[in-house]
This record gives sequence, structure tokens and C-alpha cells, in this order.
Amino acid sequence: MWNYEKKLEYPVKIKTPNPTAAKIIISQFGGPDGELGASMRYLSQRYTAPLPEVKAILNDIGTEELSHMEMVCSVVYQLTRNLTPKEIKESGFDVYFVDHTNGLYPVAASGTPFSAEIFQSTGDPIADLMEDMAAEQKARLTYDNILRLVDDPDVRDVIKFLREREIVHFQRFGEGLRLVTDTLDAKNFYAYNPSFDVKR
Amino acid sequence: MSDRQKLLKKVQMYSFAVTDSAMFLDSHPDCAEALAYYNKYKKLCEEAKKQFEQTYGPLTIESEQNDTRWAWVDAPFPWELAAN
Repeated sequence: MWNYEKKLEYPVKIKTPNPTAAKIIISQFGGPDGELGASMRYLSQRYTAPLPEVKAILNDIGTEELSHMEMVCSVVYQLTRNLTPKEIKESGFDVYFVDHTNGLYPVAASGTPFSAEIFQSTGDPIADLMEDMAAEQKARLTYDNILRLVDDPDVRDVIKFLREREIVHFQRFGEGLRLVTDTLDAKNFYAYNPSFDVKR
Repeated sequence: MSDRQKLLKKVQMYSFAVTDSAMFLDSHPDCAEALAYYNKYKKLCEEAKKQFEQTYGPLTIESEQNDTRWAWVDAPFPWELAAN
């Protein structure tokens, strides 16, 4: 289970609304490499993880991703407050606004709604951890692209924090993968699937 | 920066040190140095949370600050500008 703490992991205080920025940043909520998909990926994969360390890594990173989802949503929420119809139309936020007003709905910047098709849970720890490492890199580069497009220091500060966490998670998953391969047949990692072929 | 912001930042700082070192310990459960670091910041985090809650209300629903009134509903929620 989870306990909620009534605070963000890192402060989000955006003085100036900016619907154009919100339109792209929402991708890290519901987009292909966003925080919702990240948390669901790790929290789904953890059940069949073969080692206690790997269960812990998936559990705890999956949990931290929930707090990142909350931070991304807070950014979008604060960027879209007090907008006039004129600002909504001119910023291009109108295509989102028409369906959701300024409610938070998990979509990619392109408008594609969130889908579980963006991630896998294979029951094979090597495949899963390889995907997790790639996922962290994809999230990192999405934050890099957001930093290329957004000038507001209030927003950039939050995005930089989130970007750094992707790098740390990548490192932890790499260690998890190493722990898994260390317990396998060194001549053939794929001789068996430790999550399926080993009876518990 | 208001007093509330300063205190909240302290909680967030220590809480982050706890989150990050816990994650490191997941893959290095025998690292004494990391364990000492974790324990140090865990203690500081608990103290900072208690201090914050005394003035600004509960951080969790189980907080002692919910004693006479359900104070959980009083302070702004984390995504609001006023909470940060």
C-alpha cells in the first residue's frame, strides 16, 4: 500500500501562466515516455522480479515516479491558471481546452491519450530491466527537449530536477540488471528465465 | 521566501536525501556508509516534518495535528501555488 505525504518531492512555483509550455509538458504526464507510464511499468513488473534487490528497486522507483507524475501535473496546472479565451486560442491550447478545460488528462503533446501500449511487463527480468533503462533515457531526452523549448526559469528548474532523477534511475536499473545477470549462467544468460523456470 | 516555504524546503531537502539514499541501498544493501547517511537524514527529516506540522498542519492523515479538527483539509494541497 501507499501513504500520501501532503507535499511535492520538489517545489513547483510558477509565477507566469504559459499554455504553450503546458501543451508540451503534459507529454511527461500521459505521453509515450511520461511519468504515468513509467510508474505503471515498474509497479507492474515488480511482482515477478527474481531478486529482492530488484523487487525493491522496481517498487521504490515506481513509487518515486508517482511523485514525479504529481510534479508534472502541478506544472501543467499552474501554467494553465487564469487564462482568457483569447490566450487559449492564440496559444494553441484550445484543442485540449475544448475537451478538458484546464483539467488534467493524461495525453501526449500530440493529443494521443495515454495507453498501456507504451510499456511492457514481460515476466522476463532481463527484457524488463533493459526496457526500464531505455525508458529512463527516453524520459531524460524528453526533458532535454522541453528544456530546448521552454525559457521560464520557474519551469526549467523543475524540469532539470526531473531530468536528473532519470539519470539516477537509469543507474539503479543498471545495477539491478547486473545483479540479475550475476546469478545466471555466465555462458548463456538466456538459458532460462529466473522469474519463470525457477520454482519458488 | 516565507517561513512556511523555508521550512517546507527543509522537509523536502531531507526527505529527498532519504528517498535517494534508500534507492541506492536497494542495490547496495550492505553499504555501511550509505546506511549511516540514510539514518542521519532520516532523523533530520523526521524532526523537520514534526516542526513543519506544528505550525502548518499535517503532512499525512495519521499526523497528530488532526487531533481536535480534521486539519488535513485546511492547508493548501501540494499542487497549488500557495503550497509551494
